[in-house]
Amino acid sequence: MSDALIQIETPFAFNEENQREFDGLIGRYPVKEAAMLPTLHLAQRQAGYITPAVMKYVAEQLEVSVMKVKDVVTFYPMFFEEPVGEYVIRICHTLPCALRDCKGVLEHLKAKLATDVASETNLAKGTTADGKFTLMKVECLASCDVAPVIMVNDDLYKNLTPEKVDELLAKLAS
Amino acid sequence: MVQERRILYEHLDVPDINTFDVFRQYDGYTRFEKAIAEYQPDDVAKMVMDSGLKGRGGAGFSTGLKWSFVPKDIKPCYLCCNADESEPGTFSNRYVLEKNPHLLIEGILICCYAMGIETTYVYIRGEFTLGKKMLDAAIKEAYEKGYLGKDIRGTGLNVDIYSHPGAGAYICGEETGLIESLEGKRGQPRNKPPFPAVEGVFGKPTVVQNVETLCNLPFIIGNGVEWYTQMGPTYADTRANPPTPDPNTGTKLYCISGDVNEPGVYELDLGLTCSELIEVAGGLRGEEVKAVIPGGSSAPILTHYELDTRLDFTSLTLAKSMLGSGGIIVMNETRNIVDCLLNIMKFYAHESCGQCTPCRWGTPWVRDIVQRIADGNGRKDTMTRPKFGVAENGRWGDTGETEEIYEDLDLLESVANNIANVDTMTWNTICVFGIAVSWPAVSYMRKFRPEFEATIQEGKLVTLPVAEATVSPEENYAYQQRFVPKEFADL
Repeated sequence: MSDALIQIETPFAFNEENQREFDGLIGRYPVKEAAMLPTLHLAQRQAGYITPAVMKYVAEQLEVSVMKVKDVVTFYPMFFEEPVGEYVIRICHTLPCALRDCKGVLEHLKAKLATDVASETNLAKGTTADGKFTLMKVECLASCDVAPVIMVNDDLYKNLTPEKVDELLAKLAS
Repeated sequence: MVQERRILYEHLDVPDINTFDVFRQYDGYTRFEKAIAEYQPDDVAKMVMDSGLKGRGGAGFSTGLKWSFVPKDIKPCYLCCNADESEPGTFSNRYVLEKNPHLLIEGILICCYAMGIETTYVYIRGEFTLGKKMLDAAIKEAYEKGYLGKDIRGTGLNVDIYSHPGAGAYICGEETGLIESLEGKRGQPRNKPPFPAVEGVFGKPTVVQNVETLCNLPFIIGNGVEWYTQMGPTYADTRANPPTPDPNTGTKLYCISGDVNEPGVYELDLGLTCSELIEVAGGLRGEEVKAVIPGGSSAPILTHYELDTRLDFTSLTLAKSMLGSGGIIVMNETRNIVDCLLNIMKFYAHESCGQCTPCRWGTPWVRDIVQRIADGNGRKDTMTRPKFGVAENGRWGDTGETEEIYEDLDLLESVANNIANVDTMTWNTICVFGIAVSWPAVSYMRKFRPEFEATIQEGKLVTLPVAEATVSPEENYAYQQRFVPKEFADL
C-alpha cells in the first residue's frame, strides 16, 4: 500500500531523450490526442508501468482529461498498471501454438520460475519473488510457423522446447 | 506438384534488402517512378480496378472499388496501412515489415499518388517491435533519399509516412477500430455507414489497406494489368444477379501452420486446393487430415470431405467459409475439435472489445459452454425428441426416428447465433467480430457434432477417428437449409 502511495506522490516527467521523441510524435497528428498510444509506450518504457502520476502527466501533455488516458490504458493489454518484472515473458497460447505444445513450455516456465501466470488484473501473481520475471499468457503473436513462441520484452524466441527455455532463462538470469 | 510463384516475397531473403541501396538494385522504387512518369493518378486507380485486386486483410473487398468511394473534393485524405496482424494463424505481414519494408513504402507511395493522399499512418501492432524498428529505419532512409517528404523527385508530390504502434488489442485490426485507436481512443469499432472512405480518421476520407494489398501495387504498375490478371482463376459469381465474372487475381501469401511438416509462408496463385497447399508445405504431420481452418481462426472449419475446396475468395465463400487473411491451420487425426474450439473461444472471449452487449456477454458464455463440455460436465437431457435429418426428399425434415437432446449443444448454437446468425449472415453487433465468433463456434459444432456428443456422453474429452467424427457435407448442407423456404432452397 505504501508503495502505491509513494507512486502517486512521485511526480513523473519525461527525461530529455523521451521529451525529444515526444516532441517529434506530436507533430505527426492533426490533434494531440492521437499521439496517445505512442506516448504511453514511451512513458511506460521510462517508468516501468503506468502509474497515476504518469497518467496525469500524459493527460497534461496531450491536453485531455486523466479519465481519457485511464480509459485507454485499461483497454489495451500492453499497458501495465502494476509493477512488472525486469523481464516480461509473454507466452502465446492460441491455437497454432497450442497444436505445437505450448502447454508443455508454459508448465516448464512455471516450474522453473516458481511462479503462477499473471492475470490482467493481478500481475503480481505472475511475478517472481525477486522481481526479475513476469510470466503472462498472451494471444497470437503472429509467428505461428515457428510455434511455440515466447516474447521476452522486445525479443521473440522461436520453436521453443523445455531445453531451449532452460538455456534462455540461464542467459537472462546471468 | 504446384510451384510457388514468388512475387511479393521474391527478394525477401536477399541479404540487406531492408536497406535502400539493395532494394534499389532489385527494381526498388522504379515502379513508383514509372507510375509518376507514365500515368495520371486516375490511370493508376483504373489499373488497380482492372487488375481485380482484392483486399488481402480479410474481407476480400475490391481495392479499386474501395478507392472509387473516396470523395475527390474533401482534403486532406488519409491512408491507414493496417499492419495490426493479429488473426491467429496469420504471419505474412510480419516478414514483409521485418525484411522488406521498402516494398511497403513503395506500395504506399503508389496508393498516395493515385488517391492524392499526403499523410499515411502505418498502424503496426505493438508486439512487432522488430518490424517497427525496421520500418522506421526504412522510412528514415526514404526521406533521406528524397522518396518521402516534400516535392518527391521534383513532381510536387508530398507524402509523409508515420508508423503508429498499437498496444495488443485484436479488435484494432478491424478498420474502424483501427481508426478509433489511431485517434488515441479505445479501439472500439464504429457503426457503418459512414464508411471510412467517406468519414474516417479525424473525420476525413480514409483509405484503409492491409500491408499485403499495398505490396501488390508496385507489381501491378510495374508489370501491367494483363500480366497480373493471368494469375488466379475467374468464376461466374453466382451470388450476383445476373452472375458476373468474379476474378481472383494475383498471388496470395498463404500462411500455413499447425500439423504440417514445413509451416511457413508460401506465395502461390490464388485458387489452389487445400490438399495441394498441404503438399506444398511439406505434407501432413500425422496420418490423416481431420480439419483445416482456411482463413484465420475466424473462418468456418473445413472437414476432410472439403479438402478439394479451392483457396480463393469466391470458392471459399461458396463453401460457406472464407479466405480471410489466408492463415491456414491444419489439424491431424490426433486433435480434439472440442479442445481446439475451446482454445479459439478463449481467444474471442478475451478479445471482445465490450462495446456491444451480445458480443460482450455472448463470447464468454460460448467459452463457458465449451469449457463445461471439455471438462466433462456437458449437459444432456434424459428425454428424447423426434430426429430431424435428411428426409427422403433430400431436404431437412422429420426422419421418423428419435434422438437424444444435448442441451449444451443446442445452447451453444443458440447463443452463438444470437451474437451473429451464421445462416442468415446477419449480426447483432456493430462490427464483424460477432460473426468471427459464431462462425467457428457453430461450424465446429455442426461439422464435428459426433465428437461433441461423445465428449458429453463420456464425461471426458473423446477424440474420435476422423471418419466417425465428421458429419457428411450433404447432412450439414441440409441442416443449414432447414429454415430456408422451399422456393429459395436451391439459390
